[in-house]
Amino acid sequence: MSETALTIDDVSKKFRLYHERNQTLKAAVMRGRRVVAEEFWALRNITFEVKTGETFGLIGANGSGKSSLLKILARILVPDGGRVHATGRVSSMLEVGSGFHPELTGRENIFLNGAILGLKKRQIVALFDEIVEFSGVENFLDQPVKNYSSGMYVRLGFAIAIHTSPDILIVDEILAVGDGSFQEKSKAKFRELTRQGSTVVMVSHSLPQVREMCDRVAWIDAGRLRGVGTAARVTRDYEKDWERGEQA
Amino acid sequence: MRSSTKPSYAREVFDTREILANLTMRETRGQYRRTALGQLWSVLNPLATMLVYTVVFAFILKALPPPGDPSGLEIYALWLMSGMLPWLFFVRVVTGGLSSIVTNASLITKVYFPRIHLPLSVTLATGITWAIELGVLTLALLLFGGSPLPWLPLVVLAMVFLALFATGLALLLGVANVYFRDTEHFVAIVLPMWMFLTPVIYPIQLVEDLAQRSGEWIIVLYRLNPMERFLAVFRDLLYDNRLPQWTDSLACVLASLIVFSVGYLVFVRKESRLAELL
Repeated sequence: MSETALTIDDVSKKFRLYHERNQTLKAAVMRGRRVVAEEFWALRNITFEVKTGETFGLIGANGSGKSSLLKILARILVPDGGRVHATGRVSSMLEVGSGFHPELTGRENIFLNGAILGLKKRQIVALFDEIVEFSGVENFLDQPVKNYSSGMYVRLGFAIAIHTSPDILIVDEILAVGDGSFQEKSKAKFRELTRQGSTVVMVSHSLPQVREMCDRVAWIDAGRLRGVGTAARVTRDYEKDWERGEQA
Repeated sequence: MRSSTKPSYAREVFDTREILANLTMRETRGQYRRTALGQLWSVLNPLATMLVYTVVFAFILKALPPPGDPSGLEIYALWLMSGMLPWLFFVRVVTGGLSSIVTNASLITKVYFPRIHLPLSVTLATGITWAIELGVLTLALLLFGGSPLPWLPLVVLAMVFLALFATGLALLLGVANVYFRDTEHFVAIVLPMWMFLTPVIYPIQLVEDLAQRSGEWIIVLYRLNPMERFLAVFRDLLYDNRLPQWTDSLACVLASLIVFSVGYLVFVRKESRLAELL
């Protein structure tokens, strides 16, 4: 339990804010060599560790930078300073079903999406029935996914992602998916994952959910780390700060 | 994370080749879904092009190429398609590959995988279409008395280099398109112009005649176009049934290796920033 799955070492991320949408050649030529971008640090010197087998939560207000941090952990964004070290295979679920092709069937999309998430074909074949069962779309497997209801769509996407059994799973607000019974099933699956030694890092806006699922939590505020610790302590601090803000 | 070196990127691309296979499948299967004729469209499209150009150039303008040597073929439509199919492949790879980054923005901003698989899958899917077209053309050539079969291995080899050339350009332009969305509109104008500056639908003899009358520099400049060399190679193999000139072959190999290397290096350098630029 005390091994480290993720080391986030002094990570900073800078975005350039343009005052106009200048993704045209004309704008670039007119601008010449002047830089009219304003720099904005979304994250500043974030350092913490995530232990193997724990469920780790990231909390913070909208725009605090927690989603940017999540994307850095998922290797989608590259930090401008510091480094991230991951032990094992990282898989991310920032939006379920984002790799689906609408005209392809559910069956074809399971293979497509499974491959994008890093599975070999024979692994997908082996997991196929389990994925279909979990998602509950067996009657619609040979329909194009564009005919799926939004619930079916996300359930299938979630089922594929959760069955890839990565060493480290990066999750964004994912438990808002599906109806009550599906959410219960999802939570059980997460617990099973961590019992098997996988590490889960999640962003959530629901503090009760964070307290229920996470072992430890990091609180990000305006791009800086405000606290790391047990879920109970950090969420309490966060709530206190939030109440102070209300009163002021 | 950022210190990932180039050989390890190539290795990562190789390790995740399953993604490439699936993206290619997505391209080929998704394209003709819900069409009655399905994959047949990929053959009908060049056939229609062939009809139009044959009517205009063989019958109205009478810009006929010399007969195939030694094949003896004297059919404009077959001569046209021997060059048109590689040209269409080139156009599809460049336009499809260059827009593949922006089209798949939702994927790039949500999941990590080596992004080069996106343009590569366009190349492979276009290669499948091309193989079907080549099959039809080979049948037609056989039917009219050509003997393309012994040359097919060399045709495929030439195709590999054309694929490298086209993919290199697609990688370069694909990155440029993320910075300036003008790129794809610009390329949409340039490619038809490029076609008319390449002997796709008229024989190069017309340009040679012009050069004799008005100055050698015209043909020298004209032959700097790598696509002219590629088409010469494909026509030598398929229409004339002879070995291409070694100078043409060398030009193709050099052009494709240089363009692909530049495209690949630029892509690898810029890849990690694509997600935030989209």
